[in-house]
Amino acid sequence: MRYIEWAFLFIIAGLGIALANFVGFEVGFMESLPGILILLAISMVSVFISKLVPLKLPIVAYCSILGLLLSCPFCPAREFVIASANKINFTAPLTMVGAFAGISISGQLKEFAKQGWKMILIACLVMTGTFLGSAIISQIMLSFTHAI
Amino acid sequence: MKQETYAYAGLKERIKAEYRIFLAAFIFILIADSIGQIKIPLGPGTLILFPIFYSLLLGILSGPQTAKFFKQKEVQAASKLVIVCICPFIAKLGINAGANIEAVLSAGPALLMQELGNLGTIFLALPVALLLGLKREAIGATHSINRETNLALMQDMFGPDSAEARGSLSIYIIGGMVGTIYFGFMATLVAACGFFHPYALGMASGVGAGILMASASASLAAIYPDMADTITALASTSETLSGITGIYAAIFLAVPICTKLYNMLEPKLGPVSDKLFKKEKK
Repeated sequence: MRYIEWAFLFIIAGLGIALANFVGFEVGFMESLPGILILLAISMVSVFISKLVPLKLPIVAYCSILGLLLSCPFCPAREFVIASANKINFTAPLTMVGAFAGISISGQLKEFAKQGWKMILIACLVMTGTFLGSAIISQIMLSFTHAI
Repeated sequence: MKQETYAYAGLKERIKAEYRIFLAAFIFILIADSIGQIKIPLGPGTLILFPIFYSLLLGILSGPQTAKFFKQKEVQAASKLVIVCICPFIAKLGINAGANIEAVLSAGPALLMQELGNLGTIFLALPVALLLGLKREAIGATHSINRETNLALMQDMFGPDSAEARGSLSIYIIGGMVGTIYFGFMATLVAACGFFHPYALGMASGVGAGILMASASASLAAIYPDMADTITALASTSETLSGITGIYAAIFLAVPICTKLYNMLEPKLGPVSDKLFKKEKK
């Protein structure tokens, strides 16, 4: 995608966040705006980086790292960044993600119906096993390093 | 450098092709966020329904196989939009991680080690898959949580028509349809059993699938409101690590381990499964 396409789509995403934050949590548009602009700026810079850096990392990896750097104790804008981002409720950016994800898998509905109970059971075990394996190691490591 | 091929001639063409998707998304947000969060106690766990579930469902129902509002072309366009939309969300989680940097750093060793825990799927799901009578599909199906990268990897390693790639695709499709809701509920069930510290569960939520992580960490945040910030900070850090390490873990650990375990268990469990399911047919 061209940068202009990314920029346009990010604005759509930003409006989606603002709408969800207003409808779901009664946070006004102007109140959401600084936080949304920060999130969109991080996203856009991440797109630049991912196009420039030859590493094959997902864009979201850069989004996460940039967000972390901006809210680190050594970032001068830390307080502002955190306060603005806190105005955006955790689940507000997700509604639009769900909408697009739903549309994008809608063509697989018949394929899904054909899967049968065995595969569905296995899928549930795959998810459970991935989660449980990490939870067990985390629990052991956290107790071992006295972090909890 | 490789020249990028563009899906559209320009922005105008993109808007013309996709405006119906944007409009629908705004309408879905209006509906979904008006309904808001619903908590349903279910057994020992809590099924927490978030607006993302309703919008996901509305999206699925509006597709070419049900309401037929969207055509196949728009369905394909939407999957690119998911990537765009998840960026600001992950940026928010990154900020959250920076804001709770002390907790993240003190959990550092655990965060790194627990990435290996994502291999837990193999040990839980592979034996069951073999008992149910799956053959080589089981390797693709159970080696990882099977999101986009893994799907592509399986097709690359074993060939697009291979049994392994078919297994991977099945789990990918089921994960897309029911994963979001199941993963969040399963996290609350595991939480209810009481063995795990909420921080450990937060870290476990990051499995290399943004939407699953969101579902699990949002559910955990709802049942542990006092620790919500730290839980989501740990979840997002773990998710970022999984996103970076996931493909290497799959190539160098998950697939070799899964194949080895398959070769070990299949000769023993295969016949058991044959007996089990032949009986059922009679």
